[in-house]
Amino acid sequence: MKMTATAIVSGSLLILIAVVSVVVILPYADTSKTIPSDLFRTRTSVEKKGRALYISNGCVYCHTQSIRAVDWGLGAERIAQAGDYLKDRPILLGSQRTGPDLSQEGGEHPDDWHLAHFINPRFTRPLSIMPPFKFLKEKNIDILTRYVQGLGMKNADKRVERQKLWKQKTIDAYESGVDQNVAWIHENVPKGWRNIPTPYPATDAGLARGRKIYQDFCFGCHGPVGDGMGPAQPYIYPPPLNFTTLKGRGISGGIIYYQIMNGITGTAMPYFKRELESEKIWDVGNFIAKYFIDQIDADMEPKGIDASYEP
Amino acid sequence: MPENLTRPNTATYLTAKGFCLTSAAWMMVATLAGLVAAIELVAPDLTGNITWLLFSRLRPIHVNLVLFGFVTPGLLASAFYFVPRLLRTQLYSEKLGIVTIVLWNIALIALVITLGAGFTQGREYAEMIWPIDVGIVLVFILIFFNFAMTVKNRKEKILYVSVWYVLAATILTACTYAMGNVIWQPDSGALSGIPDAILLWFYGHNVFGLLLTPLSAATAYYIIPQVCRSPLYSHTLSLLGFWALIVIYTHIGTHHLLQVPVPTWLKVVAIVDSIAMVIPVMAFLINIWYTARGKLGLIHEDIGGKFVFTGTVMYFIVSIRGSMMSLPDVQRVTHFSHWVVGHAHVGVLGFAGMIALGGLYFTIPRITGKPLFSRFLADLQFWMIVIGVAGFTIVLTISGLIQGNAWLNGETVYRILPQIHIYNVVRASLGLLIFLASIAGCYNIFRSLFLTSGENS
Repeated sequence: MKMTATAIVSGSLLILIAVVSVVVILPYADTSKTIPSDLFRTRTSVEKKGRALYISNGCVYCHTQSIRAVDWGLGAERIAQAGDYLKDRPILLGSQRTGPDLSQEGGEHPDDWHLAHFINPRFTRPLSIMPPFKFLKEKNIDILTRYVQGLGMKNADKRVERQKLWKQKTIDAYESGVDQNVAWIHENVPKGWRNIPTPYPATDAGLARGRKIYQDFCFGCHGPVGDGMGPAQPYIYPPPLNFTTLKGRGISGGIIYYQIMNGITGTAMPYFKRELESEKIWDVGNFIAKYFIDQIDADMEPKGIDASYEP
Repeated sequence: MPENLTRPNTATYLTAKGFCLTSAAWMMVATLAGLVAAIELVAPDLTGNITWLLFSRLRPIHVNLVLFGFVTPGLLASAFYFVPRLLRTQLYSEKLGIVTIVLWNIALIALVITLGAGFTQGREYAEMIWPIDVGIVLVFILIFFNFAMTVKNRKEKILYVSVWYVLAATILTACTYAMGNVIWQPDSGALSGIPDAILLWFYGHNVFGLLLTPLSAATAYYIIPQVCRSPLYSHTLSLLGFWALIVIYTHIGTHHLLQVPVPTWLKVVAIVDSIAMVIPVMAFLINIWYTARGKLGLIHEDIGGKFVFTGTVMYFIVSIRGSMMSLPDVQRVTHFSHWVVGHAHVGVLGFAGMIALGGLYFTIPRITGKPLFSRFLADLQFWMIVIGVAGFTIVLTISGLIQGNAWLNGETVYRILPQIHIYNVVRASLGLLIFLASIAGCYNIFRSLFLTSGENS
């Protein structure tokens, strides 16, 4: 083959045109028929503004919005569909998952959690490596939060409503005084859990593990001594629980376990069932009970058959 | 192939010199941005509220400066030297060349300022706002025009394979850049929904496929036979490699979207062609490596040849990884993880970056007529980059596998952060090595072009 300048330039341009029609234009024709998915809705104007902030601050470089069939974590209840992205311009799938996927972040946390988290992510998540966004000031943080709370669209709206409903109830309980507040919190734990003491002994090794879990997950809100005065406290209402108030008010290992596992929707207390396996929850519960509440029921009856590792 | 290494008296090679300096200077800025960003992954509060130094603002600055500030100008610098040489003529217009350099640098400065200030279109490799996009397309067209007119004025009848690649790379990138940046939509620079993702990755992959790879191949095809003092192994392989590259590389962008709801047939096309990439890759590598067979001593003696040859080895590694990663079973683990970042660094720094630097070190003595200012500094830079890029690959592959397998196993992203912490520390240390290498390179290149004569003279 004789490689003349014309052959090179026109040949490669012709190939490009052919390939573009196959891998860009044909798929465009294919996907332009996409219909809105069941959870699709258009964004409000403040959500659009928040999305612009999300783009200009480069959130897309660490957070994907692309839930795959193989995913387990945040948002994995809903595998992404083409109809979810209909009005995304540009689409923000992301290419790195340095932070969690945000496809279904809306309503996962209440607004005050987001405020504390944007001011400094380590206030609520001590191991986070996300940059602090305090410079956005509360006004823009609020706008960005509106976008984040809309991620997941109709599903997010339902979750945000749920957060609001329980936020009001938890505020009412908190403002009615310590006794009523603690009683209210315990009432909302299913009855079976309330009467269960921690079925495992609080060994030194277990308490050391519990301390590590506390530092990595709980420290930001509940503080170094468990009095609820962590760095996130000024931004959160109702404020993080002061564990010392639980003493002598009917606390049990079962209640602590349930609250860590399930979280308290409406407050900044998230659920940890995805992040902590059973033993880790019992260990951190024992740590809190022993050192902060000063009332521990580990290894008390009824505890069933002893686990095989116990000496 | 012209064997004559003496410099034609009339040629000034101003454009080649300008691109040498552009590449060397921006390499420092680009690697510094990468270094600071890497440190922030370990110390996220480091730059506190300095908004333009946030990780999320630095990352696109780093990526775009490496692509368009360091590697592309570096490869163009040698092209502006070897294209006229191969055609036994002078560059059509050095003046036009200087105009393109000035425009190019204005675009790069604008890129840093706008992305630092948060003016971005939020699409990877297509972040720049519309005026910068227009500038970059214009520059590519002007560069193509300059090369095309040089070809027209040539005194050598036969077009050597390097010239094919340079012509194709500049004109095709002008087209794909305009398309990928949706230049007809000045406000958003984007389409909506899934078609936007398909177009973006078509373009994104072609930054490597139709810009960095052909320009690197052009440089290697010119330098390796010169250094080895032997003719190219096979004309047929050159032909096969060239056309196969343009046909196959352009098909594979959608392998970035295998786990996204795009049409399945398109994914099949992307996977099949990703595997078929072995054809252009091996056609090129066999051609280069057979040319160099038995001549490794000569390559080792020439610092430019040493960089370029190492670049071809990196090309082999990055291509094998690339084909593997397009297999759905592999991608299930590697997608979204550091593995991909490692892959990008072998490709852009190990392959295209090494060849760009090799091109500079080969070209500079030939356009100044003087030896390089310091062969020692160039060697030092070579080893710093080899260690840095090999280290990046190992570290990021390990941490990528930790992330990917943990996620697949149901661990949350947050739980894995402490596990990859130490790898991020090593990554930042290697980044420091690369940044120091870029300082050594820039100093060496600057001294070679302007100031005192070399240590050997």
